[in-house]
Amino acid sequence: MKKVVNVGIGGRSFVIDEDAYQKLDRYLDRFRERTKMGVQTKDVMEDLEQRIAELFNESLRSEQEVVNLSLVNKVISQLGMPDGAPAEEEFTYNSEPVNPVISKRFYRDPDSKIFGGVCGGLAFYMNVDVVLIRVLLFIAIFMGGIGFWAYIIFWIVAPLAVTAAQKCEMRGLPVTAENLRKYSTYK
Amino acid sequence: MNDINTDNIKSQMRKGVLEYCILSILNNNDAYASELISQLKDASMIVVEGTLYPLLTRQKNQGLLSYRWEESPQGPPRKYYSITQKGKELLYEMDAAWDEIVQTIALLRKKL
Repeated sequence: MKKVVNVGIGGRSFVIDEDAYQKLDRYLDRFRERTKMGVQTKDVMEDLEQRIAELFNESLRSEQEVVNLSLVNKVISQLGMPDGAPAEEEFTYNSEPVNPVISKRFYRDPDSKIFGGVCGGLAFYMNVDVVLIRVLLFIAIFMGGIGFWAYIIFWIVAPLAVTAAQKCEMRGLPVTAENLRKYSTYK
Repeated sequence: MNDINTDNIKSQMRKGVLEYCILSILNNNDAYASELISQLKDASMIVVEGTLYPLLTRQKNQGLLSYRWEESPQGPPRKYYSITQKGKELLYEMDAAWDEIVQTIALLRKKL
């Protein structure tokens, strides 16, 4: 069993396997990068997509059939790169899934809060146990007033992680459908 | 090493005349991208198709080609390319240049 994606290519719609989709997407990005024709690149990509749609159509026997990785590979090797280089060799270097840049942001954590959720947020941000933060905070409060004021300031300044996307960002996870489902409040 | 070099020279030569080939094909009849590709492939002028699309766009923007959308029997409309007057003029010049090159090469080869 495989996940499939619906895509529109060259004005036609196709059902495509997820791995095949990712490969094709990377290929198109690469092609666009190497075309180097500024605003005209759009026209080039339009022609290219039309051709891809045609090649897919020729190979698929029915409307229901799914575009798979081997078909995508075949099409890519037939199309190659704008400078005439075969696509394959240089392509394999990039074929590991690209990790998106994960941004981690400081939010207050509503799920583990006692007062404002500052300690929970801080724990995620620094990747340590929330208990340790709380202990340190109590020590700081009893050693003098700084801990207290710091807590108040964090409470005021840091936003509360309300949405599932914010909860992902708080944990430093990529905002993907899977992660969003995990932290979504509608379960 | 030697093999790589000859291949490289061959592909450079093909690249040099590719634009000329496109104009020649379109001078005979209008064509959409896939037709152009199959003709060029039959003539083993291109190895990968990707080279063609930037060329078509460039020639279109230089005013050598124009295109129109035409209904196709199956699927969405196709983009048909045709040669413009400016393209024809350039083609005429290129024809002359080509004949000249062929003659020169023939002459050189005879001498050897």
